[in-house]
Amino acid sequence: MKKYLRVFAALFKACAIAQFEFRLNFIVKLAADLIWYMTQLSIFEVLFHHTRSISGWTLESTRVFMGILFLVDALWMMLFSENLDRMSDKIRRGDLDLLLVKPINSQFMMSLKVMDPAYIVNISLITGWLIWALTQLPEPVVWSRLLLLLITIPCGLIITYSIRFLFSASALIFTRAENINYVWYNFYRLATRPDTIYPAWLRYTVLTFLPLGFVASVPARLILETPDLVLLAAAVFAASLSLYISHRFWNFGLRFYSSASS
Amino acid sequence: METTIWSAIVTSTGQESFGGFPRESYIAYALWGAFFGRIGSNWMYEYRMIEEIETGSVNGVLVRPISFFEYYLSQFMGYKLLTTFISFLVPIFITLTVANGPTIHARLPLACAVLILYLFLVHTISFSVATLSFFLTRVHGFTVAKNIGLTILTGELFPLDLVPEPYRTWLLWLPFSNSVFVPVGYLTGRLGIEDVARGVLSIFMGLAFFGMIAAVAWRAGCRRYSGTGA
Repeated sequence: MKKYLRVFAALFKACAIAQFEFRLNFIVKLAADLIWYMTQLSIFEVLFHHTRSISGWTLESTRVFMGILFLVDALWMMLFSENLDRMSDKIRRGDLDLLLVKPINSQFMMSLKVMDPAYIVNISLITGWLIWALTQLPEPVVWSRLLLLLITIPCGLIITYSIRFLFSASALIFTRAENINYVWYNFYRLATRPDTIYPAWLRYTVLTFLPLGFVASVPARLILETPDLVLLAAAVFAASLSLYISHRFWNFGLRFYSSASS
Repeated sequence: METTIWSAIVTSTGQESFGGFPRESYIAYALWGAFFGRIGSNWMYEYRMIEEIETGSVNGVLVRPISFFEYYLSQFMGYKLLTTFISFLVPIFITLTVANGPTIHARLPLACAVLILYLFLVHTISFSVATLSFFLTRVHGFTVAKNIGLTILTGELFPLDLVPEPYRTWLLWLPFSNSVFVPVGYLTGRLGIEDVARGVLSIFMGLAFFGMIAAVAWRAGCRRYSGTGA
């Protein structure tokens, strides 16, 4: 475990140095992210202009939901996005060869080799937004409940990572899997809306087979409503299971991998 | 996916209609909007133009008897016309069979014509962004920022008539609404012919504005650029 933490710290440092070399690019990326946050927020700001409540969610509680969603998304972008977006390319070009011969878990290296530490700025801004959104709630916030986010946000991140990893790792079997990434983006949209707005069958799906409801909906509900310990346990279970499945799938997929030199 | 989400949103409000339109109207809008939005955006050819300038392979185009703008415009329009024709078969089939909602199919040719006219503007804007490569090392972020911003300005995320005044009027006068809101709104009965006429006018105004920017940026870029035998 210590070895992995050391490798993680070294990779993070190296990526930070590389990232801050292009300052204008960093600013443009930050601007692009801010625009994305604004577009997502504007949907609900506009919808709530025409109704007071959507399936029990008010404008104020939706702002909290969006804050949590952005936080998970920023962590995802900082740690995994670049690696998993290009995984299909790396596998096709045979770049995996070099990783497989290293004395370290190949899934770890494949997932965390390139990080984007510039997202620390986004995380700070989003945390500010989340705190502001919590203070805007009509009911006073039980601040101690925020400790639950220390469990549920990592769970949401692990679930996002694991499902995305399954999509990307399918390149081991199909060789070209760029288009399957579009399928993922469409599924991910389900995580960007509160789960309670969905019809029963879809809500059941996002809380079981495709547990995207645990990305932001469940964490938001756990701090906005009386905490449901079953839901909390389900989040931990879903994260553990999805990570385990992603690991097993990676090992299974490697059997199909034919290196570039063979 | 879009239709599912919109259907869920409108149903969950517990109201008969939302913003003055029934649920079926939103389902039709989401269905058509997804296709119009995809066609009315430009990622691939903008990236290619940027790469050509960044890597210096633009030299190969500069010596041809066609301008860089026209060269990519022909590729872009050819690709988009083909994908428009093929991909529209899906919503046409769905709206004629499964979701027989408010779509007025007789309005489809004019809606497509507006979209095609708008594509000229899309290319002009992409060209302007690509010319930034003459001056900056990495400009892909501009493409991302622009295209994300456009999802809201085009009406791809939600019908622009839901936006409160005065923002609604501003958005409708911008040419970007001609990508999704104007053609889809016209196709699904939300808008009339006068809105289409205003949309076409705004496209021409946008073309004049961005055309000027593109021309100035290209000339300035070419003066600065030095090709090195690529």
